Amino acid sequence: MFDRDVVVVGGGPAGIAAATALSQRGFDVELVDQRAQLGGAIYRQPIAGARPVKQSRFAARRWQHLHAAIQHAAVTYRFSSVFVGVDGHGNTLIEDRNQGRLVSVRARAVVIAVGAVEKVIPRPGWDLPGVVTAGGLQVMMKETGTAPQGRVLLAGNGPLLIAVAAQMAALGNAPVAIIESGNPMAINGNGLGLLPHAELLADALGYLSGIVRHRISWRRGTELIALDRAGSQLAAELRHADGRRETLLIDQVALHDGIRSNNFGLPADQAGTTTMPFITRAGDCREALGAIASQLDGMRAAADVAAYLSRKPNDAAASLDGIARQRAAQAVLATMFAPIAGPPRLTALPDETIVCRCERRRLQDLKLLLGGTGALSGREIKHNGRFTMGACQGRFCADNSARIACELNPGSPLVASDLTGSRWPVRPLPISALLGDEPAHHDQSARDQ
Amino acid sequence: MVSTSSLSVIIIGCGIVGASTAYFLARAGVQVEILDAIEPAAQATGSADGAVSVASKRPGPVMNAALAGIALYRELAVQGLFEGAFKSRSTFVLASSPVEREVLEAHAAVLRSVGVRVEMLTSTDLRARFAPLSDAVIMGLEVFDEGHAIGYQIVHRLLSAAPVNVRRNCRVESFLRDGNGRVTGVVTNHGPMLADAVVVASGNGSADLLGIPDVLIARKGQLLVTERAPALNAAMPGAIMSGRYLISKGMQAGTALASDRGYGTVVDPLATGQFLIGGTREDSGEKATNDAEAVAEVLRRAVEMVPGLAGVRLLRAFAGIRTAVIDSKPLIGRVPDADNVYVATGFEGDGICLGPVTGKAISQLVLDRSVDLDLAPFSPARFAQLGVAA
Repeated sequence: MFDRDVVVVGGGPAGIAAATALSQRGFDVELVDQRAQLGGAIYRQPIAGARPVKQSRFAARRWQHLHAAIQHAAVTYRFSSVFVGVDGHGNTLIEDRNQGRLVSVRARAVVIAVGAVEKVIPRPGWDLPGVVTAGGLQVMMKETGTAPQGRVLLAGNGPLLIAVAAQMAALGNAPVAIIESGNPMAINGNGLGLLPHAELLADALGYLSGIVRHRISWRRGTELIALDRAGSQLAAELRHADGRRETLLIDQVALHDGIRSNNFGLPADQAGTTTMPFITRAGDCREALGAIASQLDGMRAAADVAAYLSRKPNDAAASLDGIARQRAAQAVLATMFAPIAGPPRLTALPDETIVCRCERRRLQDLKLLLGGTGALSGREIKHNGRFTMGACQGRFCADNSARIACELNPGSPLVASDLTGSRWPVRPLPISALLGDEPAHHDQSARDQ
Repeated sequence: MVSTSSLSVIIIGCGIVGASTAYFLARAGVQVEILDAIEPAAQATGSADGAVSVASKRPGPVMNAALAGIALYRELAVQGLFEGAFKSRSTFVLASSPVEREVLEAHAAVLRSVGVRVEMLTSTDLRARFAPLSDAVIMGLEVFDEGHAIGYQIVHRLLSAAPVNVRRNCRVESFLRDGNGRVTGVVTNHGPMLADAVVVASGNGSADLLGIPDVLIARKGQLLVTERAPALNAAMPGAIMSGRYLISKGMQAGTALASDRGYGTVVDPLATGQFLIGGTREDSGEKATNDAEAVAEVLRRAVEMVPGLAGVRLLRAFAGIRTAVIDSKPLIGRVPDADNVYVATGFEGDGICLGPVTGKAISQLVLDRSVDLDLAPFSPARFAQLGVAA
């Protein structure tokens, strides 16, 4: 009654590692990715004719190994296809954009490896045209081999900003500046924690040397507090550590405040039954620890799935040790990059700041909603405030809305998934994709390789 | 008349019926506490299609109650409580086959006979009024003066407008009774709670409390919401309902057209520019999940009537479990073996329409005032086993 042993969603490091390992163990694996080729966000490959962006030596080698391994495995691919969810009957639903229709696969197990989501803290004006995310910008550069044009500002928090700046510079348009709320260069010995993590350290030094070489202004301990229109440009208002204000005129700003795990609407991990598949999330979408950990967590997921399918003991222990090391490294980075003004307090933003861009809901709307009867559940905030109700289905506002709710009602902590719930479609689905005679059942349209 | 200032009432269930009852009681000065096993609008109210409508009803007590229900929505919208939360519009019942046309013509006559304002529309009339409709539609029946309200929004309005305390995650396990057997409150997972009167409005959760597991039926419905499509939305002068919907509700005896999933197509253009599309009426399926088979069938039928929907994206699918009564009439009234316990449940798909008017009626019963609504047809006494002594 099953079409496949395993559907793996996502062709980044976690998905490739899981699909390869499961295929090597003899299971029938289908890998689904929304792009036309493997890579995910971290190893995004250039489109035809574009020149590849320079990567660190370690990253390039990791990709070569991953890619070579899956080439030797008998994995079936379904590209240009988006995971829609697992329905109440246990069907794994995939929107196949090549065919323009919904495909329903009965799989015994599903590995969801859709990667991290970028954190972006709301700021006044963050909904203006010309505001993008740094992670999005980076993926675009990897795909096209060109840097964005004009005066570009990078702002927020975390090591990704330096990497993007170095890559932009290498492609010929260095950013105007990097606005960084932390101060990772402060001499307090924090960075020494990276010494045992040679690959991360080498990556960091590589990007830092790029910044120095191109004389990019890295303004540490500085915050971007507001954006406004200024003719055809944007005015970015900065606040330095000493309280001094400064305004920069720019064409584009790329925001980034770190990455986080992704469970927006995705089905929860579950043990399989006779009708429902075994489901596990893997990689950055489970816990955002970066590419090395993701690959290891893909192995871990493969071990869990194999143990379930073959009813044999689990052999994920080695992967778990490696993941723990990456967790420690990420903790060092988080300490190094901790904002010097302390963790951002979203309730201190101006009341008219947009929190939910799709539905144009403001901070004051959320304060008003939560000021009345006290603590509300995530579902009530969603329904009565329309936060996370829009077309992005919470990707840009669920985490921020939950954090604001926590600041207002510390006694009733909420997380993003309390607002988004778990449901399908996890992304808006063209109705036309459902209009065949019946949801297309598993077919031979996926490419066996 | 009872002095209301010292009266305390516990309401079990914070759906639209419980919240409405609480609102009217609290406004009369009664101390009201709502206990909900989950939270406000967590079950059927939170996943209802929101129709405030008689378009698919046959004459009888439920129709009369629904007409009173619509009138109350209008009144409360004018007063401000439901302002902006009740969208006034017509419902267009559409026929796409000779069988449906027959059902529709008969239904129009029936609605007219009880004073509902309706108009039959030929396919030419429809083309003029309702550009997005498919050529497959051969006749329409416009039912005027209907509307739409979103259940959880109404509950939020009611709870925000009156001094009502809501206890979330509070599950009622049994009634608390004194030595004489008189109900003095309820026993919950948080311990016993005292009250002068208790109102049971907990949908399918009412069955065990009142000893009527065989009287109530859990009936699942699946519903869909699209993204915003402002131009298409603006071109629709009201909600549409397939003539097949009447058939799925068993309006035409002996028909074999109704499937076991109980498909009946409703497309409601929402105030946000989105569309609400329904739905199913499933006796099986206790779990509020959506399946691709049903969702695809619902959408196929909707696109048959409004082809432009094919170019819109589905944003959300959700499901709810209605509470139906085996004789298709709700249970509203005093529980026969207790003079201070009341029940209001079993509205099936009419809870949003009937919730406020039922809440008002129950409040009048509790306060021993004259009741606006004729509750005799809904008397709980028609089921001998119903009671607190279960």
